Amino acid sequence: MSEAYFPVDPGLGPEENFLSLDDILMSQEKLPGRAESALPRLAFALGQGAGTGDSIPEGSKLEIPLWLAKGLHDSKRRIISVELPKIYKEAWRTVFSADANVVDLHKMGPYYYGFGSQLLNFDNPENPEIAQTILQTFISRFRRIMDSSQNAYNEDTSALVARLDELERALFRAGQKGLNDFQCWEKGQASQITASSLVQNYGKRKFTDMDG
Amino acid sequence: MPYSRLQFVFQGDLGPFNPGLPVEVPVWLAINLKQRQKCRLIPPEWMDVEKLEEIRDRERKEDTFTPMPSPYYMELTKLLLNYASDNIPKADEIRTLVKDTWDTRIAKLRLSADSFVRQQEAHAKLDNLTLMEINTTGTFLTQALDHMYKLRTNLQPGESAHSQDF
Repeated sequence: MSEAYFPVDPGLGPEENFLSLDDILMSQEKLPGRAESALPRLAFALGQGAGTGDSIPEGSKLEIPLWLAKGLHDSKRRIISVELPKIYKEAWRTVFSADANVVDLHKMGPYYYGFGSQLLNFDNPENPEIAQTILQTFISRFRRIMDSSQNAYNEDTSALVARLDELERALFRAGQKGLNDFQCWEKGQASQITASSLVQNYGKRKFTDMDG
Repeated sequence: MPYSRLQFVFQGDLGPFNPGLPVEVPVWLAINLKQRQKCRLIPPEWMDVEKLEEIRDRERKEDTFTPMPSPYYMELTKLLLNYASDNIPKADEIRTLVKDTWDTRIAKLRLSADSFVRQQEAHAKLDNLTLMEINTTGTFLTQALDHMYKLRTNLQPGESAHSQDF
């Protein structure tokens, strides 16, 4: 039941964690923005026009990944401005403060917490509210994650995790492992020596290599 | 660990073993002797229906964790009931009572974890928890608190540590 490797936790702050797979995937989530100055010949690079020579006029709307937005955003040279995705805007913040448990965070962007923390890089005047909402959301959803992960033994958990964001899913797995390890001990299976999951996966990987 | 080292760890004088006289031995030896049918196990004092009922009721009544008769009450109950249930009077009742106490304590642990998170406390004191109880929720709770700590540092812009620790 032990994991083959130890996943690196996401950075969950203005800095992402270089070695976290979750953070790497999160950095390519799209972010709405606007071109603050004309960007000649860049339409193709930013995924807007078809031709290589097209330019982006000032003020046009953009949809760019987070890593690119972070690189282009510069408070002195105004190249692009970044807008808040709608779940971090005030309307949604009210929903979160009313009842965070009803929101399907996986659908709303599977990296709600990490992405929200990254948004603090863009000097938005609403930053304090965003940070506060993210924290409160985590706190109010904590109980349900804890209870469901520690009670669901030997059953299908896909319905339980469907509405959790990736960070919460990792947490859910940690809770499940605690429960499973305990049940394993109680049934007397803990004293039996089993093959490490690393060894088992190694065998599987070899077979798929041969196929491909 | 080489066998000779193991012997060194488990060193000591035990006995004398006289037929009919009670003698105190480590659990591992007691179970070993029991399995070879060389002895009769005498359950610890607390492994008794009346005492356990009292413990269970107190655990249910109080908000904090009450001290357990043994830091390994779960482990001992399991071992003794598995290998020597014929030496323990009312073994089934004891099993249920210990399980009830355990369930109450786990529910309490979750409740206090939740209020701890909800009030955004920085430290808490949890007395009388046994290792087995800590182990079941430990990883989950520390991970959750880790996340919460990071999300909370976001509230103070500029002060956040640029750390790459793992």
